[in-house]
Amino acid sequence: MSRLSFRPRPLDIHKKLPIVKSIKDFEDDEAPASTRNSQLLRAVPAPEVEHEVHHPTPSKKLAAEIPTPQFVIVDTYERDYSCTFSQPTSYLRARGARAEIGEFVEYDLDNEDEDWLYDFNEERRILAPEMFESLLFKLEVLDHKARERAGLITPTLGSPIPVQLRLDTAIEALQAQGFKYSLIQSVYDYWKEKRERWQKPVLRRLQPPPPVNDTNPYNVFRPREKAHRLHTRRMQRRENNVQSFEKLRQVRRNLDQAKSLLEALIKREEKKREVMESEVTLQRMQMKYKHETEFLEDNLAFSGFTAFSSKFVSSEEEYFDSDDVMTNRFPRTRSAVQSLPSHDTNLPMVPAASTKQEFRRRYVPHGWPHKLDPLEPVLLFTKPLLPEKLAMAGIMPPDSIATNGVSPASYRLRGRMGRGGRIIFDRWNPLMQTPIDCGNSYYMPPKPRPSTCN
Amino acid sequence: MGSLETPTGSGPSAGNGKSTSVDAAEAPPEPDMSKRRRSSVLPLEVGTRVMCRWRDSKYHPVKVIERRKVSNAIPGDYEYYVHYTEFNRRLDEWVKLDQLDLDSVEAVVDEKVEEKGASGLKMTRHQKRKIDETHVEGHEELDAASLREHEEFTKVKNIATIELGRYEIETWYFSPFPPEYNDCLRLYFCEFCLNFMKRKEQLQRHMRKCDLKHPPGDEIYRSGTLSMFEVDGKKNKVYGQNLCYLAKLFLDHKTLYYDVDLFLFYVLCECDDRGCHMVGYFSKEKHSEESYNLACILTLPPYQRKGYGKFLIAFSYELSKKEGKVGTPERPLSDLGLLSYRGYWTRVLLDILKKHKGNISIKELSDMTAIKAEDILTTLQSLELIQYRKGQHVICADPKVLDRHLKAAGRGGLDVDVSKLIWTPYKEQS
Repeated sequence: MSRLSFRPRPLDIHKKLPIVKSIKDFEDDEAPASTRNSQLLRAVPAPEVEHEVHHPTPSKKLAAEIPTPQFVIVDTYERDYSCTFSQPTSYLRARGARAEIGEFVEYDLDNEDEDWLYDFNEERRILAPEMFESLLFKLEVLDHKARERAGLITPTLGSPIPVQLRLDTAIEALQAQGFKYSLIQSVYDYWKEKRERWQKPVLRRLQPPPPVNDTNPYNVFRPREKAHRLHTRRMQRRENNVQSFEKLRQVRRNLDQAKSLLEALIKREEKKREVMESEVTLQRMQMKYKHETEFLEDNLAFSGFTAFSSKFVSSEEEYFDSDDVMTNRFPRTRSAVQSLPSHDTNLPMVPAASTKQEFRRRYVPHGWPHKLDPLEPVLLFTKPLLPEKLAMAGIMPPDSIATNGVSPASYRLRGRMGRGGRIIFDRWNPLMQTPIDCGNSYYMPPKPRPSTCN
Repeated sequence: MGSLETPTGSGPSAGNGKSTSVDAAEAPPEPDMSKRRRSSVLPLEVGTRVMCRWRDSKYHPVKVIERRKVSNAIPGDYEYYVHYTEFNRRLDEWVKLDQLDLDSVEAVVDEKVEEKGASGLKMTRHQKRKIDETHVEGHEELDAASLREHEEFTKVKNIATIELGRYEIETWYFSPFPPEYNDCLRLYFCEFCLNFMKRKEQLQRHMRKCDLKHPPGDEIYRSGTLSMFEVDGKKNKVYGQNLCYLAKLFLDHKTLYYDVDLFLFYVLCECDDRGCHMVGYFSKEKHSEESYNLACILTLPPYQRKGYGKFLIAFSYELSKKEGKVGTPERPLSDLGLLSYRGYWTRVLLDILKKHKGNISIKELSDMTAIKAEDILTTLQSLELIQYRKGQHVICADPKVLDRHLKAAGRGGLDVDVSKLIWTPYKEQS
């Protein structure tokens, strides 16, 4: 087998793929034709696929590239972290966030806080670092609350955030917690100076995020912009307002209208079916009536038949399409019609006359009303024909027409069997002794096609 | 970043491997020849290519990314931030002049470099550095423009080392800490709440009051000493942000652009009588429209190469299975991330193929493993296991070939014991 020159079909992920357990199954072939994507990734020895695909550098360098983690053990670790943890037997559950617990001092002193505290204390230990931390934390929280009360909380960090907390408010709140006045004042002054320099809250939790449209990569943790998110039409959420309420009401109205329309349609179709059924019943009754009158007429007299028969045929033509009438009147064409649907292409090859002969021979002379021709349509709404009655009325079976039909006398005043057991009375010209041409629809046999077709 | 002050004791080259730091400390006597040469090329321009002695005591080609004055030394003495052109950016570092082989200086400097007096640092900051073709690997999914922007913004590591619990760790990449932290090279992290401080005393004071002994979320998995915690970024905003700052030090293509409240953080811990020590983590969007089941993944350097990363990946797929969804990691994957994922996919898929009888579709593999169909396809195709034979695709699962691939993929580290995962998907939570 030569190498595949065409592009393999894209792989259908739903299609079950055979798993070939042995590579020997392929050995008779040349190099395997792998799929398109893998061709991009191949030309690599298999064991090193992973490394090689993504690092075109030789694997010698690669070993150095994957870094050996650089770390050292902190010697003060065991002192800094106490062994006070014991795992409960059940899985640990989260408690509330620190901000909600309240008492925890979230603020940690930074370098400049420590430096200021060092100068402030001057070896005297006026203020413990923990106390200082707690004071700064409380000032931050009080300031935030003051801003909240003033309704000045900004969702994003656009412009500098001024200090909102006033000294007297701070002193009032903090003195109640047992801090000394002078201490509060000094710390407040330091905090306010720092806070104004920073132009934003010192406690990270209270700092607003950068605005959504801020492109400075050094600013982080923006709120996710929801308006610009791309989504498909299906994803669009309907807003809960009057407009969409009206829209939904319109949808409901439309659906109600559609429903009543469909109900009316169902009613109409039911009526149509009723009409159809009544018509069928009517036809049946007419049929029945026809047969009865026919036998009656036959028995009464043959003399007035011409008038009667013409009337009869005309009434019959309401039910028989012209084709049927035609085929029965001209048995020759009938065979052509019959062969048409089954072997259309062969038609020109078979002479119509010979077909007719063969066709006829197949008929069983007796029992014809029961099974004339397997291809013949069955009249659904008629009673089965009784051969005795037909014989009494002088109606000939079709094959008897064919064999005896040469004599014009046999045609006269006789009804005959048509396709599917219908009874046909032919018009007859008494002077010419020939059938009267109705002239409405002669069957035109199709033109023979050129034999090159086959 | 403001101007960087150089601390006296812990220079950035101090963490430079034991052997070289000794060499760096002593000022080597310079021969006359190279002294003359030195005066002609010094100070080196940004963009200069030169050979530099690395921690393996060998010389490697580097490119100067940035330079700064050594404040307490002779005027005109500079330190250089170099990129080893053979290696990943994570190995970029500040080096002293004596590590550079000045005889190897290639005088090819970027065209745009303008020299204006001694304030070289300020000038070069705004220079656009050309993308070095050699370190493009691992960034395939970024276009050139955004890659350049990314590298310009993150070209110099700001924090050189961190202390986290028991370990002092060298960092790999820039992380956008708040501007108040611009003046320091070392940060002290509380290993439980991940607050970071500039001085050891501050950390020690913090440790006396810190009431956390484990990540502030629900424990959803415990097997032996290994525990997994799920932390909601909305409920624990500061923790989530701290974790992101920390993770960015070790991840090149992580963005801290958006807030953490749309993410869940799965923090893996080793527990002992001091508490639950973070080993690594992965983050996951609460609602991903792109069916991502993982946004960022990191194993901290002291715990790397022990199978924790594979555990984290396997865990992310176990969560997807519980959700009844297929998932895929957010792109781009880092070099190490891609390696781990390839290994995981290979192991999981080949283990199934080895045992499976009869035909199987990619979709069925996807349903069994929660791995996205595209990932399955690329994995099998890169291993050349899907072949086009006589007008149809077949999976070639010769046991010998599979075993060879499995061996190359390495064994999966720690197994996830699904019976120990007690978890409700986020959507169904309250």
